[in-house]
Amino acid sequence: MRIRFTGLKAWWVQRVSAIYMLLFVLFLLYSFGLHPVHAHPQWRGWVAQPGVSATFLIFFAALLAHMWVGLRDVLLDYARPAGLRRLLLVAVAAGLFGMAVWLLVILSRLQA
Amino acid sequence: MTSPSDQRLTDAADDGSGRERPAPAGAAAAIRLRRPIFLDLMRIQIPVGALTSIGHRISGVVLAASVPMAVYLFGLSLRDAAGFAEVAGLFGRLAYKAAAVIVVWALAHHILGGVRHLLTDFDVGSPLRAARRSAWFVNLAGVVVALLAAMVLW
Amino acid sequence: MKLSISRYNPDRDKEPYLQDYEIELVPTDHMLLDVLLRVKAQDNTLSFRRSCREGVCGSDAMNINGRNGLACITRTSELREPVVIRPLPGFPIVRDLFVDMTQFFKQYYSITPYLVNSEPPPEKERLQSPAERDKLNGAYECILCACCSSQCPSYWWNPDKFVGPAGLIQAYRFIFDSRDRATQQRLDDLDNDPYRLFRCRTIMNCAEVCPKGLEPVHAIERIRLKIAGVTEHVGGLDVHPPISPK
Repeated sequence: MRIRFTGLKAWWVQRVSAIYMLLFVLFLLYSFGLHPVHAHPQWRGWVAQPGVSATFLIFFAALLAHMWVGLRDVLLDYARPAGLRRLLLVAVAAGLFGMAVWLLVILSRLQA
Repeated sequence: MTSPSDQRLTDAADDGSGRERPAPAGAAAAIRLRRPIFLDLMRIQIPVGALTSIGHRISGVVLAASVPMAVYLFGLSLRDAAGFAEVAGLFGRLAYKAAAVIVVWALAHHILGGVRHLLTDFDVGSPLRAARRSAWFVNLAGVVVALLAAMVLW
Repeated sequence: MKLSISRYNPDRDKEPYLQDYEIELVPTDHMLLDVLLRVKAQDNTLSFRRSCREGVCGSDAMNINGRNGLACITRTSELREPVVIRPLPGFPIVRDLFVDMTQFFKQYYSITPYLVNSEPPPEKERLQSPAERDKLNGAYECILCACCSSQCPSYWWNPDKFVGPAGLIQAYRFIFDSRDRATQQRLDDLDNDPYRLFRCRTIMNCAEVCPKGLEPVHAIERIRLKIAGVTEHVGGLDVHPPISPK
């Protein structure tokens, strides 16, 4: 899932995903502020709700996209020579893809 | 977009050292031998905005490193009651408490620094004086939030 | 006044070293450049660039007590002693405080630093309203001294790929000039790869050290917004009172 970003596209992805994640964090703080979770059934039941699950899913997508742009920036700045840089970028992309799959599994198991 | 003068200015491609400029090919360029570069970060001033920025990068990397563990704990807590209890119990252990405080600092600094970036991106608080004030605020607030978290966990 | 100045003779030395000097100040030594010229009278071998001695040519940019500035407008009364003077960071050192500015100027040339307009020239000037002219305020004053680019970490890591704050504030000066007709090409050129403009992390070292009080970081933000097609601002860039090395 290696997507090529030019300067501007990557910048937009980073900013939009950041805004969504900020809203999500506020949403979490609000939800746990109002209804603190103490037991497993309560926790699982809440996350399994289709609306909440969807919100989490979009959050994870935003998180992984944001991480990709950020880590790519770090590698573009510091990793030299070009061959090593490309290798590291591929490794990071593979890691992120793996986590995406893992998260999909976790969330889909809730609906079982 | 090149200009005629570019023809004379061919330097060697970046060879990966980042510290010295190797001798490029070409007659005029042969004079440009290995020249040292002053880049001793301990001797160069770090203004407050630069501190915020390096903190933003470090906190980002810390957060990225903690995501796999977080995903694991997320899945474990949802799996069953035993998993949930295990995750809840973890934060009684010293090592996890310490890690949690560092992650909380990273989260706070990264989010606050990020909001500062979002605002300056859209021309809010971008003049230098305002930007320095917001940089001080971000640097301090991140530490304060981390201290609060430490107090809560202990 | 006690000074520690970085010395390097490529014919003799393996690497730069600091040499100590002590100068008796006289009442007319207001600026660091005055002191450096007296050091040179004492030690003829010390080399540094200088010209206008009034902060408009940009020749005597150097790293003073860790912070870049122009020696000719850095007040001696405000300097912490011993004054440690080193060449601009990140630039290859030719000798003593002389650095190789080739890469820096290459980046400058790469942004097409001249108006592109092939419309037939009018009888007198190509007209520009005061409001249009205002947009260039805070950018045209750049003297290409390189204080900003040599204090920018992003430029340190990739001087050959990232245009740098100086080049980008100059790019701003032409992108927002109403008489120029190559605006879209200029913007495309900067968006083409993830390095030319987008290495900027808004660290703001550039605005901190600019001896003219300019804010390249702000110019870069505005170019980014223009590339994104978001809000078009009114008026020029902010200029702040310059902060000298202390």
